[in-house]
Amino acid sequence: MSDLRGAHVAFDTFRQAAERPLESAKRWKDEHGMKVVGSFPMHFPGELAHAAGTLPVILQEADTPVTVGHGMIFPFYCGFTRSVVDQACKGEFDFLDAIMFGDHCVQVLGAADIVRSKLPNTRVHFYQLISAMSDPWSRARARATFADLKVGLEELIGRSIDDASIRSSIRLFNRNRTLLRELYDLRRSGRAFITAHQMQMVVQSSMVMDKATHTALLERLLTELRTEVCGPQRGTRVYLSGHFCQAPKPAVLALVEECGGIVVDDDLYHGQRYISTDVDEEGDPLDALAEWYLARNLKVPCPTRVDQNADWEGYLVAAMDRSKAEGMIVLMAKFCEPHMYYYPEIKEAFEARGIPHLLIETEHEMSTLEALRTRIETFLEIVRRQRTQPRRAIA
Amino acid sequence: MNAATPVAKRANRLDTASLNNRMVNEYWTSVFNAKKKGRLVCWYEGVAINPLMQAADVSWVHGEAWSALLAARNNEVKPQQAAENRGYLKELCSYARTHIGCGVMAQRREEQDSGTFADALAGGQLAERVPVPDFFISAYPYCSTGQQWDEMLFRLFGKKVPVFNISIPWVWGNKPDARYLSGAEFKEATQFIVRQLRECIKFIESRTGRRYDFDKLCEIMAYTKEAGRLRMEAMALCRAKPAPASFFDWTTSLAPVNFVAGGPAIVDYFRKVKEEIEVRIAAGVGTVPREKYRLFWDGIMNWNKIGWLANKFAGMDAAMVAGRYTHMGFWHEHECIDVKDPLEGMAINYLVCPINLSAPLMVEQIVRLCREYQIDGLVLHAARTCRAFSNPQFLIAEAVQKQLGLPVAMIEGDMVDESFYKDELINSRVEAMLEAADSRLRRGITAFA
Repeated sequence: MSDLRGAHVAFDTFRQAAERPLESAKRWKDEHGMKVVGSFPMHFPGELAHAAGTLPVILQEADTPVTVGHGMIFPFYCGFTRSVVDQACKGEFDFLDAIMFGDHCVQVLGAADIVRSKLPNTRVHFYQLISAMSDPWSRARARATFADLKVGLEELIGRSIDDASIRSSIRLFNRNRTLLRELYDLRRSGRAFITAHQMQMVVQSSMVMDKATHTALLERLLTELRTEVCGPQRGTRVYLSGHFCQAPKPAVLALVEECGGIVVDDDLYHGQRYISTDVDEEGDPLDALAEWYLARNLKVPCPTRVDQNADWEGYLVAAMDRSKAEGMIVLMAKFCEPHMYYYPEIKEAFEARGIPHLLIETEHEMSTLEALRTRIETFLEIVRRQRTQPRRAIA
Repeated sequence: MNAATPVAKRANRLDTASLNNRMVNEYWTSVFNAKKKGRLVCWYEGVAINPLMQAADVSWVHGEAWSALLAARNNEVKPQQAAENRGYLKELCSYARTHIGCGVMAQRREEQDSGTFADALAGGQLAERVPVPDFFISAYPYCSTGQQWDEMLFRLFGKKVPVFNISIPWVWGNKPDARYLSGAEFKEATQFIVRQLRECIKFIESRTGRRYDFDKLCEIMAYTKEAGRLRMEAMALCRAKPAPASFFDWTTSLAPVNFVAGGPAIVDYFRKVKEEIEVRIAAGVGTVPREKYRLFWDGIMNWNKIGWLANKFAGMDAAMVAGRYTHMGFWHEHECIDVKDPLEGMAINYLVCPINLSAPLMVEQIVRLCREYQIDGLVLHAARTCRAFSNPQFLIAEAVQKQLGLPVAMIEGDMVDESFYKDELINSRVEAMLEAADSRLRRGITAFA
């Protein structure tokens, strides 16, 4: 990446927040004397918590082994859920003023109950978002849930949240997403060389940092990248798909690049999925958030939702074309049920079109990196050989 | 050899169970004949919405019940393999995997006629012969898997078979007034479900092209309510010592309150069950030859292990007298059903089914049952692919240990994938739990208020 000073400062700040999100939030709390609200991925509207004058922090999978948490959750749960339970059991969330859940994955629901039991003095609330997106009542139900969430936040801060504040927060979040999307455009078009890990850190830090600070750093980073001349990149263009609640391990991302891949695009939650859709800045803000909730599933379809108007596999095929990716690596968090359900649809669609893809199951405790290296090397070699041959679609 | 290895003692299962088997076979026979008789077939998952279909003269296939039947009749392996061949991983809900596997097999099916249930059963062809759906209804409480399961079936059938979703909110309780069956959030959730049930009725009307017979629904729900009442009364009789029937008997008696057609037969069934229990109590006959321990089963059932487990615990002198699965669901809140306008009562029963209560409310109910049935220990069956049931189990274990001093044993298994069942681990863990229970019994700690 660039040797530009501003970019380095920005990346370093993003890295620190992404690697130590709770420390970063604690520091903010100490400096500002304001409340911090933890939330679960993937559909929590941080705009509302920001408008309440709190710092919204999307809780992250920790890079530490699960230890105490084993006493509260079975090993056959995804790494994110186990890690969050572990962090709650270790008291790492004690500084949070509230935890507000919204998602409905059955494993997250289990974690919600455990977190509430471990944090008896913390406001641990649940605001269940409707997961059927194309029913006649989906929009109204989503709006009602966001209205309940707003009331919960008002109870937390002891005052009402006015519409003007919410619109202001929406504008700031939109600006942040817009800049992040520009960063993606620069990478996709080859005008900037940004590693997969760097990109992830930029997005992940946006989930946990003060949004205004993050946006200011991002402006600075982009100012330098826009003018930088980037030489041609050599490697196999790879699209990364999958991994929802948890960020892929940096070591896995690095491995793709070490094996000769260039990650040109993704639909990861710690990536495009998080930044795909803006909220309308005019009109009733709760209406706008409900609309955003439904619209983002059409923008980047999510297998945790049911939506007759969205096709994840079709989205991925188009996204591969758009980013001129040559192969797709599917990163599936072990035990992630929504992903396991949808994967056969993707597999069939890609096989039918002769598009190469590789499924990698990841775990919280990744212990098989060398075996993975062989698989990725082999996959990329197959992709390179296909360059010279026409795609063979399977009838 | 482990001391807890089952000995020759066998469970004394209820004789009336054979009537249940007959009802189940008749029900599936009618499903296999549905298309010949011009009836539409609905595939659905989740709560017992079958009365909605029955009132419209539509046949129904409950995904979980169907998968359970396949496992109980050793027909589950073929659909599970078909699902795996399409790319569904083994860690997915085995109910869903088995049912979706039937959907995968249906895509390859040239002959649409299902033949008879008896022939399919005899030929080990249940999975590939099940009648294909004309529409889907998804009504899954708590577990996100449910809606996705139907969504995947919808996609598997080329998006040509319409699907209707009923979203059932989790009973969490943000507000201080949140209690079991009460509080503003519970009431709002109930009304949300009622509105969706009304829409679902319109959807069914649109599929059948006939006016919906609401009076018939009321009639069906009157039978269902009565069956629910008799079942709860019969289960309550098992507070007697020795317990005349076990959790395993109640699992095999779920069909009439889960998917068998509501009518006089299900009422008659539970009346006979109750009579048999009363006779046993009068004669001092227990569900196990020698009742030394009274246990509670938390979690879903191993459908291919019911008889095996019943005998295993009988061999340990342990009566499994109650369970979350059986005692906290399946029209257990029958009193809420107004037979003149049953939708609200149906919605309430759906909301308080065995997985849809958040842990504090669920624990409250389990502690109550442990007291009522004078439980000596809990067996928590962590079904590998049913996180919905496994989710609160550590909290349940913690609560009964702290509040009641009860020992627990956590065991691993699964609903319909036998490969997750670990017999020797179960023996050693249950043995350890029974030793702790023994110690309590020796100290005279047996009775609860």
